[in-house]
Amino acid sequence: MDKEVSGEEIIVVGNVFKTFPGGVCALSDFSIKVRRKEVLVVIGPSGSGKSTFLRCLNGLEEVDKGSITIDGIPLDDDKQNRLEIRKEVGMVFQSFNLFPHLTVLENLNLAQILVRKKSRKEAMEFSMALLNKVGIPEKANIFPNHLSGGQQQRVAIARALAMMPKVMLFDEATSALDPEMTGEVLAVMKQLAREGMTMVVVTHEMGFAREVSERMVFMESGRVIEEGPTEQFFTNPKEERTRLFLSQVL
Amino acid sequence: MKASSIKVGRYSKRSPIIDVAAFLLVMAGLTWITGTGTSKLGYNWQWYRVPQYLFTYEGGRWLAGPLIDGLMVTFEITGASLILAFSFGMISALCRLSDSYLARMIARGYLELIRNTPLLVQLFFIYFVMAPIFDLSRFASAVLALSLFEGAYASEIFRAGIVSIHKGQWEAAHSLGLSTFDTYRRIILPQAIRRILPPLTSQAISLVKDSALVSTIAVYDLTMRGREIISETFLAFEIWFTIAAIYLVVTVSLSIVVSRMERRFGESG
Repeated sequence: MDKEVSGEEIIVVGNVFKTFPGGVCALSDFSIKVRRKEVLVVIGPSGSGKSTFLRCLNGLEEVDKGSITIDGIPLDDDKQNRLEIRKEVGMVFQSFNLFPHLTVLENLNLAQILVRKKSRKEAMEFSMALLNKVGIPEKANIFPNHLSGGQQQRVAIARALAMMPKVMLFDEATSALDPEMTGEVLAVMKQLAREGMTMVVVTHEMGFAREVSERMVFMESGRVIEEGPTEQFFTNPKEERTRLFLSQVL
Repeated sequence: MKASSIKVGRYSKRSPIIDVAAFLLVMAGLTWITGTGTSKLGYNWQWYRVPQYLFTYEGGRWLAGPLIDGLMVTFEITGASLILAFSFGMISALCRLSDSYLARMIARGYLELIRNTPLLVQLFFIYFVMAPIFDLSRFASAVLALSLFEGAYASEIFRAGIVSIHKGQWEAAHSLGLSTFDTYRRIILPQAIRRILPPLTSQAISLVKDSALVSTIAVYDLTMRGREIISETFLAFEIWFTIAAIYLVVTVSLSIVVSRMERRFGESG
């Protein structure tokens, strides 16, 4: 990667614990830091707490204990802080979650107008620029149900970008897609990474992880088992458990 | 997509003649039952006396008879109650789904109280107990009782509609920084309304029919007018059948309008 990852930490997660009702422990003494412009890929077996970790970062899940700070703003009980973080952290979901009653363009405009208080015209221009960026400007006035999965996910990425977030979270963004569509979505994500977007990505796409990320995290049972620079993580993992997992997925 | 196209295919293959024949058979059966029933009753039918209670023709102008006057009052009561009932329903549904314990309990109390007591008792309670305190007119008492009653049922319909929206929609709105209010207004309710339109129609139809109860507190609606005419003329069967037919026309028209609306909503989405 030809970009500079500055030393400044934008996401700081300290000793977070999260247990779901029913006693399933999703995060246990979980700590991690992400620097500005860094791409962090989180891998691990299912049920290891990867998604929960992402969902805690923008307040979709409440943590039981521990602290999360995004760009200097603590994710605490203060409503204003939580709202600020929601604005600054974009999220892309496995199941796209586009708004089916709105056209593609309206999906992109909505938060710009309601949250960023942009004029309709400004929003429209930015939305079209984003649709160009994800390669489907011709779908602007179509309802999401008429798009392929890959197109829907690209719209979802554009919708998140419309808020001009400082951080983007990807929760298994390509898991619901067939290989061809996976490629078109990964291409958009790679482009974002090149442009210096701070990204936390949960994925099973090891090729993508290896190519795009600066750092890898391997999780199991709500804990960080291993973390390290991507190349070293793949070529020479320290932990036996990581080695075993990688041998199964590569 | 696939399932619905198979279904359409299967239905379109059946000849409409069979449906029409079946309908005619049923209607013939019903007519026969009614005919034999009333002839055994030895009732003297005087249908020719009925039209004057619908319309009269005087001095070159058509004038509405008492039944049509009553129907207008029924429309007024139903219309006002419908708007209020949906407001009560929406508010209490949102209360039940809110994070506030107090709001949830109040909404729950309202629902249980209304749904577990008869409408007639509620109507009498409001008219005889509350109306003197708050100086409510008969009309206002009627509207309040009906809308509180139907609102409780509408509330459960709204709640079911809101809950049926996939939680991913909430999460997407949340991650875009939308407020709860905006999420409801722009994301959840527009989708929920489409789904709850059919049950809400049934509720509106119930309201039209339930409005007949207001005749018990002497509001001059369709039913009250009918009772009045019957007590003067003893045309019990003719007038009751006419009233039933009028209610039927109103409710069926309502269903048709709503199914048109549904089809239009269905196109986008």
